[in-house]
Amino acid sequence: MAPAAAESRRSDPVINYGVRRLLALIPVALGVATLTFAIIHLVPGDPVVAMLGETAAPADIVGMRHQLGLDRPLLEQYAAYLGGLAVGDLGESISYRKPVSRLIAERFPATIELAAAGMLVAVLLAFPLGIIAGSNPGGAGDLGAMGFAIVGISIPHIYLGPLLMILFSLDLRWLPLTGRGGLEHLVLPAVTVGTALAAILARMLRQSLIRVRESDYMRTALSKGLSARAALVRHGLKNALTSVVTIIGLQMGALLSGTLITEMIFSWPGIGRLLISAIGARDYPVVEGCVLTFAITYVIVNMATDLVYAIIDPRVRIS
Amino acid sequence: MLTVWISENTARLRLVAQIAAALVALAGCGHYRTDRPPGTIQVDIETSPTSTDPRFATDATSSRINELIFDSLVKTDRNGQFVGHLADRIERPSPTEIVFHLKHGVRFSDGRELTARDVIFTYDSILAPESMSAKRAGIEELKSIDAPDDYTVVMTTAHPYAPALELATEGIVPAGTPLPSKGTAAAPIGSGPFQMVGYARDEAAQLERNPYYIYPSGAPRSILFKIVPDPTVRALELAEGVCDFSGNNIEYDVLPWLGSHRFLEVSKTPGTTYKYLSFNFRDPRLRDVRVRRAIAYAIDRNTIVNTILRGTARIATGMLSPENWAYDGNVTAYSYDPTKARQLLDQAHYAAGSNGMRGLRFEYKTTPEGARLGEVFQAMLQRVGIELTIRTLDFATYYADIQAGSFDLTSLQWVGINDPNSYCMVFDSKKTPPHGQNRGYYSNPAMDRLVEAGMSTVDPEARKKIYGQVQQLAAEELPYVSLWWVDNVAVMNRRLVGFDAYPNGSFRSLATVTLSGPGGGGEPSQ
Repeated sequence: MAPAAAESRRSDPVINYGVRRLLALIPVALGVATLTFAIIHLVPGDPVVAMLGETAAPADIVGMRHQLGLDRPLLEQYAAYLGGLAVGDLGESISYRKPVSRLIAERFPATIELAAAGMLVAVLLAFPLGIIAGSNPGGAGDLGAMGFAIVGISIPHIYLGPLLMILFSLDLRWLPLTGRGGLEHLVLPAVTVGTALAAILARMLRQSLIRVRESDYMRTALSKGLSARAALVRHGLKNALTSVVTIIGLQMGALLSGTLITEMIFSWPGIGRLLISAIGARDYPVVEGCVLTFAITYVIVNMATDLVYAIIDPRVRIS
Repeated sequence: MLTVWISENTARLRLVAQIAAALVALAGCGHYRTDRPPGTIQVDIETSPTSTDPRFATDATSSRINELIFDSLVKTDRNGQFVGHLADRIERPSPTEIVFHLKHGVRFSDGRELTARDVIFTYDSILAPESMSAKRAGIEELKSIDAPDDYTVVMTTAHPYAPALELATEGIVPAGTPLPSKGTAAAPIGSGPFQMVGYARDEAAQLERNPYYIYPSGAPRSILFKIVPDPTVRALELAEGVCDFSGNNIEYDVLPWLGSHRFLEVSKTPGTTYKYLSFNFRDPRLRDVRVRRAIAYAIDRNTIVNTILRGTARIATGMLSPENWAYDGNVTAYSYDPTKARQLLDQAHYAAGSNGMRGLRFEYKTTPEGARLGEVFQAMLQRVGIELTIRTLDFATYYADIQAGSFDLTSLQWVGINDPNSYCMVFDSKKTPPHGQNRGYYSNPAMDRLVEAGMSTVDPEARKKIYGQVQQLAAEELPYVSLWWVDNVAVMNRRLVGFDAYPNGSFRSLATVTLSGPGGGGEPSQ
């Protein structure tokens, strides 16, 4: 019985698919690691001077460079970096003097929390707006929802964040300005991160619903006596969702990059803030580790999106 | 009809009501409270201190926080003069020797008494090759440091070294304090008014009183230094009352708005931070003094100070501000005069073409924060026929380029100038990077002789005369165009009473301010 079960698991197309996609992570990670390594080492700037300061004795700068292994040939440093990656060692931060994996582990939950909350805000805003707009194209609801979408896409995080702060923290005093704490700390950063995505999703959902409304099965449902609303909810929405789910996965990258700015604005102690600080200090291992983490997260989210896609659309089969 | 609809949708309505209730609860059913523990003040700073150990910290943020934690043998007063701090009495028996007599009864925050042994240990640990401290170079003139007894420290320099008291400004840590390395999490303790009890890089540093330090009644019990990188958010935190104090890190544009809040005070006091325009002397066009003077005449500094800086600066005559003991303002001045600038460029054989331009094109490198000023320079220089292209770089790239001498023109500032020996670091031809900060590769034997004489002349009056000549020569030669001395602009909550601004922007007064109203400071110690 046990071998049969094991055989069944092995042949499960979803598991096979997941394993294949996870294996595909290896070349992706290698590519991202190589590119990041090359870019951060090629741009001007010296982590040792950033750390010791301009007034340091030249001998100390040379000594520190040697201690950190930065005086070795670039190819040798690259090989050491890849060797470390192969055993899960992201190296040690130059400025924090801590293992990079520890720094990322300390901050990644905050970024995931912010990204997930941003996604939730996006979905909560986008679905009603998209449905209102798509149910009655050209109507007042459509105009209002699409007006929101245009504003939402146009307004950058760096502007929206302080605007929300002024309204909800300074004037109304409902929510705290900055920092990470309870749920009340999460609201403004999440709205900042999620608004642009909400606007994109709302527009996508509207377009999908308009397309679905004109399909044969919707006409059939209406001719069977279903109300327009019931037909839309029972048949149209599910079909319209497939393209929206794809966009959600693809937009994960934008959402993660949005957290970079948002974390800076709201003093949110996440990986984005760590990355920006590390770029300024030319802390090579931290920059490489953060970018790699973002890339792997992006791939995993897209893999999950594909799986969800198969669940909500019976025509799609994982094989 | 409505009743039927409601009865059919009761469950849905209940769900909507529950969500609405949750949202209202989330909003706090009223105002969000920003209470802090009594006696705590919050100070917003823009960057993390790079080191909590005074033996290694060289950046301004670290130095300002460390000043509240660590005492040094001497400190500077508001005129940039060195005065005793841990030293009760200072003697200079010879040009190469200084004797410091330490105060008795000074205690570290763990109760240990500070003695000469701690001073010797601190300096030895900086000078140890394995420390690789950036401060090693700063005290390289120190030949030896000895402690004849527990309360006497003798410093000897290799040569007569006039600014020798600068060597005595290092914060003292207890003997035996390990060098910061892997796994050393705790910040060292000091004998200053506060001790660091918590530090999370990129987030905050928490300071609490040193229980063995005498402080006035009502002084703050603790200070939270919160790292807030965004200038808009720093202003909002002040306006919300979350932050109590922000020094020199608020954008000029929002100062009037902050000043309109009754509970906030915007204080503007003369500062010593010196803003300048630097030239690259490796460019033959910029080696021509007429071109440099033309640029100086073409820049309308008064207009910039009164508009962009909203009056928060004083037009500078040189690196030393009027507060400095060696200041000499009787030097060649360059008030805005575009006609004179054009004449000088004509004399330098850069004739204007039909479009008014003279074929002089320079690259001005800057950071995103400095781009606005660059655009102003660009417009002003265009009026006299000089084309300026602006290259905006992130700070690390910009800094690397400036150090490598890869720029034509750039504008930077010197912070915390005390001793006029700074002229040697920036204008001596031997002090080009990495040996010093003469980044423009300026070279003039007369200047070299003067700054070297200033460094070795111990007599204050003779030294003042030398630096008067240095200031005059710098104003004539223009290795820098002196722009302005930046005022210290502090925005603070009015519950902070008695803040005494230092020209160098020091936070030292935060230890002695008193807190008024509910949640004020604590009882005086001892």
